[in-house]
Amino acid sequence: MEPPVLDLKHVRKVYKGKVEALQGIALQVPPGSVFGLLGPNGAGKSTLVKILTTIIRATECEGEMLGQPIGHKPSLQKVGYLPEHARFPDYLTGRQVVEYSAGMAGFTVRQASSRVEALLELVGMRDWAQRKVRTYSKGMKQRVGIAQALVNDPKLLFLDEPTDGVDPEGRREIREIVKRMREEGCTVFINTHLLSELEQVADRVAILAKGALVREGDLEELTKSKEEYEIVLASPLSDELVYKLETLSAVVANGHILFKGGDPKQLQPVIDFLRHHEVVIQSIQRNRLSLEELFLEVVEQSRNEEPT
Amino acid sequence: MIAIITLLLDSYRLLKARALFWITLGISGLVGLLYLSIGFNEGGMSLFFGLVSFEHELFRKGSEWAELLYIGIFTKFIVPLWITWIAIILGLISTASIFPDFMSEGSIELSLSKPVSRLKIFLTKYLGSLLFMLIQVGLFTVLVFFALKLRMGTWNPSVLWMVPLSLLVFSYLYAVVVLVTVITKSTLAGILFALLIWFGSFIMNAVEGNLYAAAYTQSQGGDAEMQENLKPWYRASVALYTVLPKTKQTIEFGDRLITVGGQKGFSTEDFTAALLGAEADREDLEGIDDAVRRNSGFYVIGTSLIFEGVLLSLAGWLFCRRDF
Ligand SMILES: Nc1ncnc2c1ncn2[C@@H]1O[C@H](COP(=O)(O)OP(=O)(O)OP(=O)(O)O)[C@@H](O)[C@H]1O
Ligand SMILES: [Mg+2]
Repeated sequence: MEPPVLDLKHVRKVYKGKVEALQGIALQVPPGSVFGLLGPNGAGKSTLVKILTTIIRATECEGEMLGQPIGHKPSLQKVGYLPEHARFPDYLTGRQVVEYSAGMAGFTVRQASSRVEALLELVGMRDWAQRKVRTYSKGMKQRVGIAQALVNDPKLLFLDEPTDGVDPEGRREIREIVKRMREEGCTVFINTHLLSELEQVADRVAILAKGALVREGDLEELTKSKEEYEIVLASPLSDELVYKLETLSAVVANGHILFKGGDPKQLQPVIDFLRHHEVVIQSIQRNRLSLEELFLEVVEQSRNEEPT
Repeated sequence: MIAIITLLLDSYRLLKARALFWITLGISGLVGLLYLSIGFNEGGMSLFFGLVSFEHELFRKGSEWAELLYIGIFTKFIVPLWITWIAIILGLISTASIFPDFMSEGSIELSLSKPVSRLKIFLTKYLGSLLFMLIQVGLFTVLVFFALKLRMGTWNPSVLWMVPLSLLVFSYLYAVVVLVTVITKSTLAGILFALLIWFGSFIMNAVEGNLYAAAYTQSQGGDAEMQENLKPWYRASVALYTVLPKTKQTIEFGDRLITVGGQKGFSTEDFTAALLGAEADREDLEGIDDAVRRNSGFYVIGTSLIFEGVLLSLAGWLFCRRDF
């Protein structure tokens, strides 16, 4: 198997004023995946990404990125980064912002020009590329931000809250871009607290709370553990049927029947029972714990564990 | 290398976007034009391309005094008043926010996350900020250079020394701005501290200069005992003055480099005497040139560069190790 793109063994950061933003993080990001780092505000997500991109220094740091120790400047040539609350010099045009990013990564304007055009097109900013950034809306700045992060054809891409301020259509486009990058073999690391965004693209997620990783794994695995069937009926059930259903270990709540577990075989007796009593079934659907529920649950747990 | 060019190009774009840059450039052009409009004829001199003219015994076409006056107007009036006074203030105001803006959250990340060392970014950004002054003084001095050819008939490249010298003065003060803004991220604090250092240097230059004149030059009465008593005071003032950047003397150093009438060295004594005309008492003026040249070039520029180097090293060190 290919070595991980990001292999952190121990990353700790204590800010001046004794805020322990990261308490010794260890995590691995496999190549070619989309990795989502989730966490409530102040969890330390941005701190971690800023350490990896050498914006801030870790207090203690053991680990590798793209096969080099963290802080190794030349390896940043293959890293793209969209910072949180990105602000571009307002005297530049959108195109110049992207060209600046390319230049700092070592590409001349000529070398980068076709890629710059393609990226401006990709993020839907081609018609605006000649205008000054100061005339852009928030979402437009974010689009240019994504283009500048991609301009050096990164192997590893950090997006810190990429959909911040972007309209629904733009969000979908960003998701498409992320998928496309993955297809091109780029590893994408996304920081967010917008869970619905990740659910549709992330392969792996980690949940960070108060500077510690509380859960990490494949999105599938993490959310599979809690599955249930939900049956919606056309009309309410009689009390007798409700009672009998409960003996089949189904739960009835406001006209819906909930059945724990993801095994379809075990559901059949419930359906048989309902059909036998000529109850009209409107729909049956299999629910899995959404990332949001997982997130809230995990964060809640970590809060409770806190010795206060 | 590409990164350095990118940073410099960015600095240039930044300047271009500042209204103050164009205003200063416009005034520079205007002052240059005014300078060019001064002409000399057989009987005297004229202003505004001949609009106003008056007769003068010394300042007329072909006279060596005319060249002295023409160069003197540049080095003694325009350079100290416009270039190293108003233009520097405008320059400080328009460039002081470069570092705070660059270092603000959401914008510093774009540059620091690149495969370029922080020190390189810092130094290039610093040099890029000096572009403001370089363009202003450069344009202006080149105008003067052509004006001299037009009015005096000879090329005098020695006036171009004013470009590096003015740039030096600006760079001393800009080092103060950079250090203060790297620490505080406050543009206003940067400008205030730079003005404070500048003012301090101006005062100390006057104190040291006057003590020197009183203690060492003959023209000041010649009371030997009093001169002896003043010498320790002079030495104390030198000690204090040494740590400051020598803004005024750096410009005055140009006097030693500029050629007038084919000879190296611009004489303030001669220039003042020519301006005062018949009323001049040459004896009173004696010693001015010595006083202006009392300190060696190594002292004037060397110690100022040490000042600049220390401030920049400190600022660079802070820039390289802080968290953003
Ligand atoms: N420059 C700083 N100095 C001191 N403390 C800081 C600094 N930056 C962040 N912190 C603290 O570190 C912790 C983590 O902050 P961080 O910005 O990494 O959180 P985050 O997970 O990105 O939050 P958000 O979702 O709001 O972006 C917070 O408690 C914050 O107060
Ligand atoms: Mg954040």
